[in-house]
Amino acid sequence: MTISGTTSGTTSVTRTTVRLTDGIDEELRHLIPEGICRTFRVMPYALADGQVLVAAADADDSITAHVVAERIDRPVVLIRHTVNEIVAAIDETYPPVEAEVETPEARRARMQMAQMLTRSGLVTSEQLQRAMLEYSRTGDPLGDILVAHEAMSEDVLVAALSEIFQMQRVGLADFEPDLDVARRLPEPLALRLQAIPVAVTEEAVLVAVARPLADDDAALVEQTLGGPFRQLLANRSDLDQLIQRVHSLHYSEVSTQALMESRPESSAHVVVSPAQKAVLVLAIVAVVICGVVWPINTLIGIVSVCSFIYLVVSIYKFRLTLRALGTHLETDVTDEEIAALDERQLPVYTILVPLYKEAGIVPRLVRDINALDYPQTRLDVKLLCEEDDDETIDKIKSLNLPPHFHLVVVPDSQPKTKPKACNYGLQLATGKYCVIFDAEDRPDPDQLKKALIAFQHVPANVVCVQAKLNHFNQDQNMLTAWFANEYSMHFELVLPAMGAAESPIPLGGTSNHFVTSTLRELGAWDPFNVTEDADLGIRLHREGYRTAMIDSTTLEEANSQVGNWIRQRSRWNKGYIQTWLVHMRNPVHLLAQTGLRGFISFNLTMGSAFVLLMNPVFWFLTTLYILTRWGFIEQLFPGIVFYAASALLFIGNFIFVYLNVAGSLQRGEFGITRTALLSPLYWGLMSWAAWKGFIQLFTNPFYWEKTEHGLDEGSS
Amino acid sequence: MTDTTTVTIVTTRERLSGVVQSVGRRPSDIPRRWWESALVFGLFTLGYAWFGHWLISDMHVVGFETLDRFNRALMVWHNDPPKLSAVGFDYPPLTILLISPLTIFSGLASSLLVVPLASAVFAAFTMVVFNTMMRRAQVLAPVRVVALVALGLNPLVVLYAASGARHFMWMAFVVAALGALFAWYVTADIRFVMIAGLAFAVAALCGYSSLLWFVVSAIMVGAILARLGADGTEIEGTTVGFAAPTVYVVALWTAFNLLLVFKPFNWITASSDAASSGGLEAFTAVELLEYTGRLVLYGAPIAIVVLPALIFAGVARRNSFALWLAVILFLSIIVPAVSVALKLTDSPMIMRNALPILLFSMIGAIWLARSAGDGASLVSALLVAGLIASIPWTFQAMKTYKYQGLESTFAAAVSTRQSQEGATTPDGSTVGYVSEQAMAQWITDNVTLKNSILTDNAQTAAVILLTGDPALFFDRVDKSDGPWLDAAKNPDKYVDYLLLSTNSDNDLLSEYYAEDIDGGNPLLTEAYRTDRYVLLWVPAGFRPGEETLDPGASVDSGLDTETDEVSP
Repeated sequence: MTISGTTSGTTSVTRTTVRLTDGIDEELRHLIPEGICRTFRVMPYALADGQVLVAAADADDSITAHVVAERIDRPVVLIRHTVNEIVAAIDETYPPVEAEVETPEARRARMQMAQMLTRSGLVTSEQLQRAMLEYSRTGDPLGDILVAHEAMSEDVLVAALSEIFQMQRVGLADFEPDLDVARRLPEPLALRLQAIPVAVTEEAVLVAVARPLADDDAALVEQTLGGPFRQLLANRSDLDQLIQRVHSLHYSEVSTQALMESRPESSAHVVVSPAQKAVLVLAIVAVVICGVVWPINTLIGIVSVCSFIYLVVSIYKFRLTLRALGTHLETDVTDEEIAALDERQLPVYTILVPLYKEAGIVPRLVRDINALDYPQTRLDVKLLCEEDDDETIDKIKSLNLPPHFHLVVVPDSQPKTKPKACNYGLQLATGKYCVIFDAEDRPDPDQLKKALIAFQHVPANVVCVQAKLNHFNQDQNMLTAWFANEYSMHFELVLPAMGAAESPIPLGGTSNHFVTSTLRELGAWDPFNVTEDADLGIRLHREGYRTAMIDSTTLEEANSQVGNWIRQRSRWNKGYIQTWLVHMRNPVHLLAQTGLRGFISFNLTMGSAFVLLMNPVFWFLTTLYILTRWGFIEQLFPGIVFYAASALLFIGNFIFVYLNVAGSLQRGEFGITRTALLSPLYWGLMSWAAWKGFIQLFTNPFYWEKTEHGLDEGSS
Repeated sequence: MTDTTTVTIVTTRERLSGVVQSVGRRPSDIPRRWWESALVFGLFTLGYAWFGHWLISDMHVVGFETLDRFNRALMVWHNDPPKLSAVGFDYPPLTILLISPLTIFSGLASSLLVVPLASAVFAAFTMVVFNTMMRRAQVLAPVRVVALVALGLNPLVVLYAASGARHFMWMAFVVAALGALFAWYVTADIRFVMIAGLAFAVAALCGYSSLLWFVVSAIMVGAILARLGADGTEIEGTTVGFAAPTVYVVALWTAFNLLLVFKPFNWITASSDAASSGGLEAFTAVELLEYTGRLVLYGAPIAIVVLPALIFAGVARRNSFALWLAVILFLSIIVPAVSVALKLTDSPMIMRNALPILLFSMIGAIWLARSAGDGASLVSALLVAGLIASIPWTFQAMKTYKYQGLESTFAAAVSTRQSQEGATTPDGSTVGYVSEQAMAQWITDNVTLKNSILTDNAQTAAVILLTGDPALFFDRVDKSDGPWLDAAKNPDKYVDYLLLSTNSDNDLLSEYYAEDIDGGNPLLTEAYRTDRYVLLWVPAGFRPGEETLDPGASVDSGLDTETDEVSP
């Protein structure tokens, strides 16, 4: 036995009495995952003197030795074998699936790339080792992995690829395109193939491409261009920017007008429809006439109607939360299922991140997205910036982010809203699934994988998976703690129960995962609705689709300043009323689409916005009565109305306070249970915001009250 | 200065890694069996309601307090105008509000058909909780059935489950709370702490003595969590979640008392549970000990075995829950004696005090069965044997036990199957309601004008209830005591009749017209009389204490009345 060297606790040996051809020990056969076996050409096969004998094609390679040693918790000896011997053993252990096994050409190209980069000192062996490991799991191009890990720049990769494929490169960073030339390739094709014509010569059209086109794609391009073309390799980020610039007008029109034109009845660009206006005016006239003829009875009637709305909304929410407390309603995804995911099969996942004047948050955002347990090479992150937000755009550019981060600059146009930015980004999305995160969001690292598995578990009509939202700065002050209490109740109890009941769910602002194609078919978000998420949830339901909840949380920044909070909340309430008005334009149609249960659920869910408007009126009447015992107030609450109002005041209010406590306990947030007891003060703020939003609905319906982020202590 | 501390972001998994309870997910537990719970509930409700109907309608065994509460519940819907304030402060408010749905239809209330239901449903609910507790303790189904039947047939249980009394109300919720804590201890599922907290809150407004068990349980929750290694935040948060409902209802009720009668703790001092007239006979320590022993021996003999067993399991086997149940059981045993020693009650060592002891013993025995491992069947069998043996034992004791309410009357009714109308209880009260029924019948037949009968409802509640129409009466609930006293002084201005009880104790109107009850004033004509009540007709111009009418006076009720004619 000849020992040829040791690396990382692994010994490599060239000759031994036990060989792979003698057979493989069944207990050792699966010690190393298939991807690593194939990538590094290794196979554990026998035990000798307490050491695991591992057949290796390149027993002297330090990276191979290191990777093997990390996977086996016993001393390891690498035994040199021929490639054929090892591949045969791997194929025997892991029968090959044709599409998943690397072709000899691809392997040659990968090895060539690895050698080129290491020999020239462009990447370290540690970086290469990490990239190789990821390659073994995902099968993605090694160069792309290295760029995604920021081990080297995209320009270096392009240079290496041009060397390998013997192709010319083109720099597009400051390129001013001839739009007529650039648009010769239609936008869908350009986007799909990541290719764009940049110049025309006498012989051919010069087309910038991110990667050499496959033969079929090349033929399609040639056919579309009507003549020969030549490929020039370009930096992916620069190419992406160029495609955006060339087609920005189209993207902008679609993001603003698509829903308005294709489904005008679902668009909030008209706040109150003519029919609704007529009904509203008639109702007001009727109430005024009744008020003049029967003043007390009319007031009693109004109080009764309000009390009834209160009662049914309260009972509905209470029922939902009780149901959620009784059972586990989220779509279950186990750790084992996540661990068993084959990363080679993972689809590209688009992450849409709308940003506005949030330059300071970008580094943290990049860090948190990179922390997601999902191959970065399969992420398609769209950082959606408004054209006038130079600071954020410059910040993103200055970071020289790897190509899975895409800076998307949304041209300045009205309405300047988050949904319009999302619609813009959605047109550029390449993922099979997509999700929205806010800039300050910190999703659980396994959230994308959980959502993916959840999509496999749920019925086919579930096209949206909503993760839970909560706050990371809940301990900052009383307001943030209340906010966390509210979210705990909403996302731990109310939404899971609505999901399980297949009720129309008003989606949360972020962390809603969609099947991208269906989202596009539906017209995506309404750019005129200031709670586009809630509206989209209802629209999904109306079209027969459903939303499921998963037990994964995204932590957001809770608003810590009252003014900022009021702005945010007023927008939400305005949006809820907007959404209610949009979907109640034709109640009969809504009823037909959602069924009676869905119809009632929708109205009761949106009814909470009206309850917030009524709260101050009833609080005032109660306080006035306690202080003055004014008989007039007593007259307004006869018999059963008084009992219902009393029950709501003393029991209903407490139940809602306690549901806040319950939501926090259910989530294991023990530190904020005591603040939940003071939530009636929080309701006061909610009513204030509700009135602000309600008034704004008439004065400035499409105005997007921007929430300022980064106000948490320690924001960095 | 801005605090620049960097916020540490922890994932959900990391955040929950130090939590000792099960949060955000449902741990393994017994499967739900709605049908089984519904069956137990339905059978016991039917059984007790049927027996209660016989007991109340045929045997006339029903407490005045029960009829008073039903009358108040009736007033909530059928007074003119409906009055929530009829609930008052004499009883814990939920003992009236929870039975108010039964009085929506006045005919059902006045016929007393629904009275047994008021206790039967709560007793049946208690049995459901016991059944679930036994399932969680892995007690075999046949043993569970026998244990439930044996407990359900205990005469003390039957009396309070079938007679419409309020004691099973608070007991049901206390047992439910303890059952939830039982489940929490077994599963670590935090939602059971919340359920226990809510159950204690309801129990507190059904019976103020529940607060004692609530306090003990709150301490236990904190102590158990600390022992399991929970950090301070988890202990605090859980305890807040547990205690908040009860603290809220107590604070709310206190605020009500402050607002309405300017005495925040009136609910304790004026409560029929806690009010002491000071006329309690004196007991020596030895006597207290002796009567405590009798209470346990006759009312809940299984406690004699269960308590030491729990203490043994708690100390020797470091079984925290057993120790806590021992504390609960021990307190339930000594509370009657302590109440007497502190002169907090007018009803010393009364036999119904054995009811909580019996039910807590049952919980203790179930826990012992669960903790016994292989010996679970033996413990269950012993429990069943003890419960079966208790039935005749307690039944005999009810006949002769010194301090009691309706126990001996109940025993006599069951033994003889003869109506107990007119029988006298050991504390001197007369059983039955024939007198009230006769008066109510006369009023129903002859009076139709609203608010035309002035009466002190505190004493004539049964008559009002049996008429089924409290709107006929001008009582202390209608416009509070001030206007009522005005009417008592000038009845001709307000009413046509005075309804007095012939025993003027506790009847303010009878006290005011004490000399006229037996015809002292010829102007007050007797419209109708029974053994216990008299209805006097008030002529126009009548002035109390004067024997001539004021010729210039006219009837002006000052109340909302209909124009129906008086038919005296």
